[in-house]
Amino acid sequence: MRRGVRTGVREAKGGIMTTGQPLLEIEHLTKQYGKVVALNDVSFRITDGITGILGENGAGKSTAIKILLGLVRPTSGSARVLGQDASHSVVVRGRVGYMPEHDCLPTAVSAAEFLTHMAEVSGLPPAMARTRAADTLRHVGLFEERYRAIGGYSTGMKQRVKLGQALVHDPAFVMLDEPTAGLDPAGREDMLTLIRKTHREFGISVLFSSHLMADIERTCDRIIVLQAGRLVQSGEVEQFTKETETVFIEVDSNREALMAALEKRGVVVTIERSGFTIQGRDETVYDHVRDALVEAHAPLRRMAPRRRALTELFERDGERALDGEAA
Amino acid sequence: MSEAIAQAQPGSAHGGTVFDIGYQPYTGLREGRSRGRRAIFKDGVRTALGFGRGGRAKILPWFCIVALSALGLVFAIVAAAANAMAGPGAAEKAGIPSHSDFNGVASILVFVFAAVVAPDLLSPDKRNGVINLYRVRPITGTDYIVSRWAAFLSVMLIAIWLPQIVLFLGLSGSDPVPWDYLTKHWLDIPRSILAGAAMAVYATNLAMLAASYTTRRAYASVFLVGLFVISAPFTIGISQQIEGAAGIWMSMFTLTNIPVHVNDIIFGKVSEIADRAPALKLGSAVLVAWYFAWTIIPGLILWSRYRKLAS
Repeated sequence: MRRGVRTGVREAKGGIMTTGQPLLEIEHLTKQYGKVVALNDVSFRITDGITGILGENGAGKSTAIKILLGLVRPTSGSARVLGQDASHSVVVRGRVGYMPEHDCLPTAVSAAEFLTHMAEVSGLPPAMARTRAADTLRHVGLFEERYRAIGGYSTGMKQRVKLGQALVHDPAFVMLDEPTAGLDPAGREDMLTLIRKTHREFGISVLFSSHLMADIERTCDRIIVLQAGRLVQSGEVEQFTKETETVFIEVDSNREALMAALEKRGVVVTIERSGFTIQGRDETVYDHVRDALVEAHAPLRRMAPRRRALTELFERDGERALDGEAA
Repeated sequence: MSEAIAQAQPGSAHGGTVFDIGYQPYTGLREGRSRGRRAIFKDGVRTALGFGRGGRAKILPWFCIVALSALGLVFAIVAAAANAMAGPGAAEKAGIPSHSDFNGVASILVFVFAAVVAPDLLSPDKRNGVINLYRVRPITGTDYIVSRWAAFLSVMLIAIWLPQIVLFLGLSGSDPVPWDYLTKHWLDIPRSILAGAAMAVYATNLAMLAASYTTRRAYASVFLVGLFVISAPFTIGISQQIEGAAGIWMSMFTLTNIPVHVNDIIFGKVSEIADRAPALKLGSAVLVAWYFAWTIIPGLILWSRYRKLAS
């Protein structure tokens, strides 16, 4: 069930009012640490939904998040969060949640006490903070365990507490830095479900940083790909997956003749070990395949639509970007 | 829309229905930085006293607080016994330790308390990474460190003032006419408050500064115990061996005596614990300035270390 999704922040106090505006906005952002360029003229805007920020280690994901949180000042360019300059607004942090990648939990206190404290630090009155902490722990699946000391929790439970503290003050936007790091397959699946739930049921927009393509692909509505500090791709995940639709063909014989017949019809063919793939999955392509099979007298063994992993697309685009830079 | 997750059996005693009302956005009041500061202060006090933590976290702070109060009680009992045996005012005439001597006698215990408790307010936040969560909350680095500092100072004040209250009640209660004791010694109240505050601020600043340099609570505690307790006999011994200005200045580095000198200036008499310190030759103004230097400079360094925690 999808609850009312908030596209902006309702609160007008302190000038935070962004209904209809992007939640996060980065323009020509560059960050240099000495001679190392962590981000190089990156621009993107994030509105409502779950946005994945994808890149290898050192791609600039964490730097971008730190700039958006106001923890690091950019060398040039601007970063705005909920309509406020990220570098100068303490107030805006009351409407943003952050789940760091690394350990950030006390060991000696219970999850209930910790989340209550974090809600109060975010500005909620004590009575409301207690209620919110209990509710949030129920939503992340830790209600029964909420009075146990966090030090005794499993890795998966700790990740849930980390997510809980990011949500406890009901932020308009939450940034999750590698939320599935260190989790086993079941825990990872649970965390991805929670992330989807965070937006689709709680109405909180999400920026989800990961180096795992599969996690991003399964969870996000939009994707931003960073490579070596540069923006390589950004857009709807669905759009990318459409671009990667292919058809896999395997024949018993006359493989070369079939390839020639397909290429004659203008179909892009990629050779694979046991067969070949052709780009696109619209009706025309199937018509071309049918005609080429007849022309080449090639007995068809297998034909199946296939979606290439997003990785391949980004590897290709990344290479293009790097080639362009070298040129 | 609500979802029924459980329903009572028809015909059951209550016949109620439990609903999971799902996630509810928070639409209430947001109190901003001021609430954040108060929350960190409250958490600091709870941490220092071990509340909300396991039993072991309560042992050291409460042992020190009880020991300090017990010391105040012992002072009161000794004075009451002297007055009972030799008549009213006998304890004062015999020079039995009272309010002016308490901070000097208790100073080692106060510093041990600071050494073992203060690191608990800063070191685990860095060690566990909780500091990274404070950095992204609507507070500044100054809010964080000032709130933590104020929390520990409050606990220190409780630890130092409580025995003085016990002592005052004991002394006034042991007097045949308690009101007479009160009228004669009322000045001990503001003096005790001021001298206790001076000692609390001094110990708080040094202990918090040391704690800010390490993620390991134990390292900070060991360093502070070494600084306060072990350095004192060393500097006292050397200062009494060396004559002249060098001896006097060495005496100035007896860190446990620095707030005791201020205590003596406030009460207008030299307490037994510091009466042979060569530093006394320098005069009150220098001793007070030295105290402020050892209090303000560590405080400023501590603040500067956390000021840029989050802009």
